[in-house]
Amino acid sequence: MTALRVLAKDLKLHARDARFLATLSLFSLSLVLILSVAFGPLFRDPAREASATLWAALFFAGVLGLTRALDLESESGGGEALRLTGADPFSVYAGKATANFLLMGALWVLLLPCASVFFDIGSLRVLPAVAGVAVLTLIGYAAWGTLFAALARGLKARELLLSILLFPTLIPLWIGAVKLTHSLWAEGSIDAVRDWVKIMIVVDVLGVALAAWLYEAIQEAEE
Amino acid sequence: MTSGIPGWFSRSRPVVWALAIVLVAISLWAVVARAPVEVQMGIVQKIVYIHVPSAITTLVAFGLTFAASIAYLATRSWIWDAIAASACEVGMVFATVVLVSGPLWARSAWNTWWTWEPRLTTFLILWILYGGYHVVRASVGQSSKRTISAVLGIILFVNLPIVWKSVEWWRGSLHPRSVTMTGDMRQTLLLSMAAWLVFFLAAFQERLRLESLRHAAESGEGAR
Repeated sequence: MTALRVLAKDLKLHARDARFLATLSLFSLSLVLILSVAFGPLFRDPAREASATLWAALFFAGVLGLTRALDLESESGGGEALRLTGADPFSVYAGKATANFLLMGALWVLLLPCASVFFDIGSLRVLPAVAGVAVLTLIGYAAWGTLFAALARGLKARELLLSILLFPTLIPLWIGAVKLTHSLWAEGSIDAVRDWVKIMIVVDVLGVALAAWLYEAIQEAEE
Repeated sequence: MTSGIPGWFSRSRPVVWALAIVLVAISLWAVVARAPVEVQMGIVQKIVYIHVPSAITTLVAFGLTFAASIAYLATRSWIWDAIAASACEVGMVFATVVLVSGPLWARSAWNTWWTWEPRLTTFLILWILYGGYHVVRASVGQSSKRTISAVLGIILFVNLPIVWKSVEWWRGSLHPRSVTMTGDMRQTLLLSMAAWLVFFLAAFQERLRLESLRHAAESGEGAR
């Protein structure tokens, strides 16, 4: 129940902050545009270039989303209030990670058609599988991102520090997402790169397991 | 070990330093004068006697950071935080040696300074992440520094098995999976490993002493 309440609270905070959502959308769209211009106008391997662009834009823009909810919470004193309720730390983490997952999912829904149009790639036949890759990737991104965002909460230049820690950690996830999406768009299946699914699942599970172990300590450190 | 550095550990510093200097000197002599020149790569192959021990020492150092971070979260004793930070800092120096010596060897072996192959890439990621550990440690407030550092020391350790196993997990790896040597080459490599591990211990003790002095200054206690 606590996780659902935290999820609802974080989603409400995002929904009320239309200016931020617009900025995040425009920033991620700009990234897709810049990268498509850099690769184009004649694409050598559009499936590869489009998948790399899509995931690079999502990963970079996602950092802004990860810190935003925590910032809003800090400004209103909500984080402190949440701790005073004595709520189970992992439930709080689960609610926040799910909110981040949904925010990133919304961003993916926005960027996917743009990347498809700019690179003239993709088909509806593989869309469910591409969505499956997105779910696998964004679970890991939200799991690790929420953990690192909580860790970096009180720090100066936290977006930069978050990037330093998050991006290198998520490289296996990023490579997997690009390879699987590329394979689906280019060949219509993931047979050649199936091993990456296992690696991505391990990264996802590891992120959640470490959060279950360490999130309480991170909350204590903030007190 | 819960309240401070044991006396015997502090007193052993001069002995460990002397041993480290002697061992490193002998190992360098063995590398130059005793180990034979490899037929294919020539003298460049001797970089292995610095590169491999530095890599092993890096793993030991970051492993110590991981273990001490867990111990800190369990006991909340400052000494474990000091051990974790000290090991990580000295480990970063050895990791840098690995990153510098690797390309020098690769230029001769692979005809390129750098290639995006799994072991190199994952090790560079490791180096960036542990660099991030120090930046975070320097940025965070005094009250939460130890806990945040401990959490990070645990999370970052996840990358060590990835670096270790990367040559097996990813296809097309150029990096040797293991170093197989015999005779004088093997003896020199083992001696180098021992020498640089003792050197790590000496540097670690020195760094730990500084942490101890800092703790004493901040808490108003006397340091050993």
